Amino acid sequence: MTRLVDVPAQFDDRSFEHFAASFAAGSAGGERLLFDAHATEWASPYGLVGLLVAGQAAHATGRERPLLTVPANPRVLSYWARAGFFQQASLLFEIHGKVPKVKPAEESDVLLPVTAVRAAEDVHQVVSHIQQRATAILTSQLGIDPKATMGFAMALSEACQNIVEHAGTGGWVAVQHYEWRRRLAKRVVVIAVGDAGVGFRHTLEPTQAKRFGDRWGDGAALEAALIQGVSRFRDPGRGQGLKGIRGYLSRWDGKIAIRSGTARIAIAPSWDDDAPLTEGLSAFPGSQVLLIIPEQGTGTP
Amino acid sequence: MIRPIDVHAVLQQSVPGPYADLVTRPTGRAVRERIELTLTDASVLRMDFTGVRCIDYSCADEIVAKLLRTVQVLLLRGVTDAHRLAIEPVLQGHGLAVAIETGAGLEVLGPPEAAALVAEELLARRLAERTAGGTLALTAA
Repeated sequence: MTRLVDVPAQFDDRSFEHFAASFAAGSAGGERLLFDAHATEWASPYGLVGLLVAGQAAHATGRERPLLTVPANPRVLSYWARAGFFQQASLLFEIHGKVPKVKPAEESDVLLPVTAVRAAEDVHQVVSHIQQRATAILTSQLGIDPKATMGFAMALSEACQNIVEHAGTGGWVAVQHYEWRRRLAKRVVVIAVGDAGVGFRHTLEPTQAKRFGDRWGDGAALEAALIQGVSRFRDPGRGQGLKGIRGYLSRWDGKIAIRSGTARIAIAPSWDDDAPLTEGLSAFPGSQVLLIIPEQGTGTP
Repeated sequence: MIRPIDVHAVLQQSVPGPYADLVTRPTGRAVRERIELTLTDASVLRMDFTGVRCIDYSCADEIVAKLLRTVQVLLLRGVTDAHRLAIEPVLQGHGLAVAIETGAGLEVLGPPEAAALVAEELLARRLAERTAGGTLALTAA
């Protein structure tokens, strides 16, 4: 028997909870999963990375390889192919539907196609690639000071290193820029990093659970990591990465949100109404990091 | 004794591939360990960052902060504004300071107490002198 997992028509961080709930319900029985994206009309990097994470988690449980029906809309299908999604998905899913053969990253708004991150070497490649592609776009289209584009690479590096250092498995990163008409009426750069690893609570439990007592859980772990800069290492130099990312995003009015296990934490600027901490969500494997940097200097709606 | 280090060259020797970015903790560790092999009797290290495009917090911590456990003074040159973005918070976090060679002289980067100690050390070792304006200038070439 096959269980259906719905992929939302507009698949981004906002509709992600619908997907996570569908995945959690589908995973409960141990049957083969069918990820149904045929009606999907758009997916953000966060959606694409999240879909791969779910596929990896389903694949890792030892059950039959999950199925994926591709979007019916040829324009969407082509975009997913150019974003490098199918290259990674073909390793995890039995794909149903014809996938166009295009080279990833030819599309100008794909700053970094969906890229696997497993080791430090992968982070080097990501950082090197993004600096060649992103500098002009960050400065000319988002109005970010050319000197600050290096900070973008640093933030990306630190976000990817969370996978290498803490996940205990590989993950993916994707970076795109696009006009965000519905939510902000501005151009934005979106970085999504996700893995199906052990998550923040498991990583921090040995050193932090006692300190939080009854409050300990996915939400407290995210709070410890993002707000308090806590790391599982006793070395005082650890925990700087997320702190550095926060500093960079604060400077450029950006947003960070991290989902892990059953909780989600966000530090949102004035243009966003995301909740600071949401607990009791459907369980989803690993960690998913979302960074958004908006176009500068034109005021917020 | 001042030991000169070409950081970009050490990076090239430490990672496979022609990368110009000091990123990831394993890379930082590899670069630092290679530098430490050359230290022996050196208590002052002059690290030239020319050619290094980007350094992240992890590498700044592994290289700059941890080398300061071994050497007494770190003189940095070829440091860009982007490098400072990573190095400065790491120094603040550890309560450490380094001297940065600028076109005009020497700037000590770090929290005030640590910076004062580094300035004193530079003067005591006659590596720097006070200018008429009260700033520091390098004496040793």
